[in-house]
Amino acid sequence: MQTDDACYLDHGVSGYGVAVKLHHDRPAEPQEVGDLLREMMDAIARDCVERGAKFIGHIKSHLMCAQGSLKADTIGISHPAALHGELSGPSNDLYVAINSIVQGITEVQVKEATLGSAHRLAEERGFRVVLEKEHLYFDEYDFASDEDYLQQLEAQFESGAEE
Amino acid sequence: MRIIQIAGFLGSGKTTLLLRISRSLAEDKGFKVALVVNEIGEIPVDGKVMEESGMKVKDIGGGCICCEVASTFAKTLTQLYRDFSPDIVLVEPTGVALPRQVKLAAAMGSRGAPIEIGPVVVLFDATRPDELLDMELMGLLVTSQLADADIVAVSKVDVVDAAALAAALAAAKEVIPGAEFIPVSSVTGEGLDLLIERLSADAAPGSEREVVDAD
Repeated sequence: MQTDDACYLDHGVSGYGVAVKLHHDRPAEPQEVGDLLREMMDAIARDCVERGAKFIGHIKSHLMCAQGSLKADTIGISHPAALHGELSGPSNDLYVAINSIVQGITEVQVKEATLGSAHRLAEERGFRVVLEKEHLYFDEYDFASDEDYLQQLEAQFESGAEE
Repeated sequence: MRIIQIAGFLGSGKTTLLLRISRSLAEDKGFKVALVVNEIGEIPVDGKVMEESGMKVKDIGGGCICCEVASTFAKTLTQLYRDFSPDIVLVEPTGVALPRQVKLAAAMGSRGAPIEIGPVVVLFDATRPDELLDMELMGLLVTSQLADADIVAVSKVDVVDAAALAAALAAAKEVIPGAEFIPVSSVTGEGLDLLIERLSADAAPGSEREVVDAD
């Protein structure tokens, strides 16, 4: 029942997943964040097609920040990306997971389209990519701000000093 | 423990439908429900969306549960039974998985848990039937998925007109005339009561189930 031959490879389907943390020096408004995510999905789909993809299976994303979460996805360049969810206020730091599954191009090409479009769209809107994890989702350490991290270090130091 | 697959091609609306169904089965019908989600691409976007619903979710990564990680899926079902003992497990395979193979893998889980194989629901996206059934593109895979369906849920009916829905239904019926067809919308809720009725037929919350073979 377990095999190295993935069923989807027979159909020329390739998938690539990445998690990115984006930072903006000023808090980005909810509308701005939603537009960024939706346009990112459309841009990845277009880029995949320009690289020779025959069929956009599903390009999807999940964004988390302190003000809530959003989900955006698209199933092709003739279908504009859909956006769901809402944020309660502006945010500086965004944690975005993206999964791109398309047919007709290699995984390397899917990766280039996904990362290239994500970086370009983010940077055009004043965000910096401060963390990128290929094939892995964020863990608790990614969510810690420098301040939180320093506080944890201070607490460790203080508790060590008492011993 | 009844295993119900919500299968269907990429982007057909599986995650959204599964969340609507799982809430209704748990909150309205009183079933203990667990979700198993599998994605290629290795980032569990759907799993994260599901976790926000507060449901018990198991993510399976590292490949497709119909082939590459089939035995991991079977073991996951056994583990779910031991840890959580759900009445119903809703399984969302990857959008390229073959439901029949997922069913066989689920049956392997009966070695360690009392498993009943429930209906296989295959979603068919009403917004792009021609594209999906194009044999130059993904038609072979999509027809194989449809052929494994007990119920074909023609999805996204809130965004198509009556003519487009009729065309999508006709196209899917040509592939598998013997299935039950239910037009559904996870946005408006159309068709969901009927679908939930079918999925929970003869099931009672908290009941123990007998081991059955996938065949």
